[in-house]
Amino acid sequence: MAPSSATQQVLLSPAELSYLHTSLALNPPIRPDGRAPTQFRPLIAECDILPGTNGSARICFADGTEAIVGIKAEVERSRPSYSNTSQDTSPTENDEEEDEDDRTEEKESMEKKGRNEWVEVSVEIPGFRDEDSMPVFLSAMLSEALLADGEFTGRLWINGRFHWKLYLDILLLSQPLSYPLPLLSLTTHLALLSTRLPKLKSEGDEDPMFDDDWDASIYLFPRNSKIYTRPPVTLLVMAVKGNIIFDPSKEELAVAEVVLAVSIAERPRIGERTSKERDLRLLAVRTIDPPSRLTHPGVPDAINTATGGAAVNSIEEATSRREVTEEEGVWQPPRGGAKRKLIAEMIRKVLEKGGVAEEVLDGLDAVELG
Amino acid sequence: MAITILAPAPAAPEKPREDFSDDSDDGGVGLGDERPAKRARHSAKDIVTPGEIVTDDPQWMRGHGTFVASGRTEIVAAVAGTVQKTNKLLSVRPLRARYTPEIGDLVVGRIIEVQSKRWKVDVGAPVLAGLPLSAINLPGGILRKRTETDELQIRTFFSEGDLLVAEVQSLHQDGSASLHTRSLKYGKLRNGVFLSVTGTGGGGGVVRARRQVWTIDAAYGAGKVDVILGVNGYIWISKHVEVAGAETAITRMEEAVSSTVYSSQNDEIAPETRKEIARIRGVITLLVEEGLRVDEDMVTKGYETAVIVDAEEQGESSAYLGGTRGKKVLSLLSGP
Repeated sequence: MAPSSATQQVLLSPAELSYLHTSLALNPPIRPDGRAPTQFRPLIAECDILPGTNGSARICFADGTEAIVGIKAEVERSRPSYSNTSQDTSPTENDEEEDEDDRTEEKESMEKKGRNEWVEVSVEIPGFRDEDSMPVFLSAMLSEALLADGEFTGRLWINGRFHWKLYLDILLLSQPLSYPLPLLSLTTHLALLSTRLPKLKSEGDEDPMFDDDWDASIYLFPRNSKIYTRPPVTLLVMAVKGNIIFDPSKEELAVAEVVLAVSIAERPRIGERTSKERDLRLLAVRTIDPPSRLTHPGVPDAINTATGGAAVNSIEEATSRREVTEEEGVWQPPRGGAKRKLIAEMIRKVLEKGGVAEEVLDGLDAVELG
Repeated sequence: MAITILAPAPAAPEKPREDFSDDSDDGGVGLGDERPAKRARHSAKDIVTPGEIVTDDPQWMRGHGTFVASGRTEIVAAVAGTVQKTNKLLSVRPLRARYTPEIGDLVVGRIIEVQSKRWKVDVGAPVLAGLPLSAINLPGGILRKRTETDELQIRTFFSEGDLLVAEVQSLHQDGSASLHTRSLKYGKLRNGVFLSVTGTGGGGGVVRARRQVWTIDAAYGAGKVDVILGVNGYIWISKHVEVAGAETAITRMEEAVSSTVYSSQNDEIAPETRKEIARIRGVITLLVEEGLRVDEDMVTKGYETAVIVDAEEQGESSAYLGGTRGKKVLSLLSGP
């Protein structure tokens, strides 16, 4: 669970918190800027901005936060793994595989499995040291989403002795005004889409030789190939009393009851995408401590001496009064956890056909590369 | 429709340099060799850059934003801005600057610290402003001396994070302001939303005007909405709540301080009102993004235009002014 220091505290008065919370709890919710619950703020995105990298992207959100991701690849010698030798024996024992070609192909595809250490993600956030919890958690969440399907690292395989080591450098350029995870995730997705690796000219297990022509390089996620895949994307979803809200601004996060970071990807598909729909797959769901739990509760008029009320005598009485009475207009920090049904509903809303996740992936696909 | 991804705007093209060019890259102050010493400045839109000589006529006294190098008589601009002349005083008003408090400004501030007999308030200035306990209206009406009980209960009046509207009473040597809320129209704010706009000096942003606080009759049956434009760029939009007995003589003002002045509890606010408040917030954000000035006139016109645009648009009525609706509102505002 991400630490609460990850979400920046926005200083708001109890009256403002109560107003925002009541507005978001209405049906339909009224967001402070009037957006629909599934509407994102417009963002600016561009690819291939760093010429010295294999892939890069930059995204600016409407609230002024900006991120740049650069991806570099380096050829590295593979460590001999013991697991490979043990797998050698199984295909020969398989009685169903009669064809010699099938057997060698199967052996190759098993060997092509990559290792998670071939991908290195580093996140840099201004104002945080590298070992602070926020950058470490963010890089762990982003790399977890990327390596979850177990197939991504297979693309980095060159031959039995060498592989590509991919370095993802994620930089948040602006101060972290709101939780930066969705921004960094979208920028990483775009950068991965624009990443190209030089074309391999050598064969078999000899020392790798590549084509000098950069125009001949192949995309890491090719647009038109037999197998269609896309990198994952992580979205921030929040809920207030049953209303599910996407792309929350920092004021909305300040009154959220539940905040989830949902990572989704598309299932790899053989052949061209025939229908408009995408086959989405849930990779990870992480809860994020909403900053609303750290706020002070508002004082209702009845016990506010400044408004003629009678002050309570002790702290215990104050807290018990607070738990019993739920007055309109007075801010109460949310207590208790999220209901399981609500979390299931939030995940379902992210994954539904024609829903938010599909629109985000469609939008990112449409960004021009280079 | 849920997500709009735009391409980045191209960089603004280089404008051709006219008459005087101030090549600060050369590493030297442009001495007025090639230009006349006394340049006639006709338009107020003349912008000077730091280090540029404004004049070397000895009749001028130097004001804010300028300096005179020792041993010389020229007045040199210290900030980038427009030249302002009042009688014999020459000052340069900066284009972009943090809010500098002036006496008499109506400001919206947020309590940051609670000290023994005063509060420290963030008003968007370089230094926190102070609000002494003696400068607020105590509920209970009658003029009463501030007792120790008041000091101990100081948090019942204003606590950290509370928003208030106040007036700048005086300035200290270091530029920090001292506030007061000794009027019925000042005090703690509730029933609404806060909005912060960084003022762009020289025309855009919140400007000092005759009326900083006014009430809008919102559309769609939403009732009255109060708008408070703090000169420091902090804005409060809320539902208008009738203060009982607000029209009293100044001698009886203390008695009229209502008991709800320091309440943190919001009143009942209808969804229509909340939607209109969101719309006004969107209008102000739009004005600021375009660099237009934010005052009563522009906000009211912008709001009326936004209501018209919303009524004309097909589909669901929405208060969001971020996309195409916002552009429509702007074009209607600047057009006729």
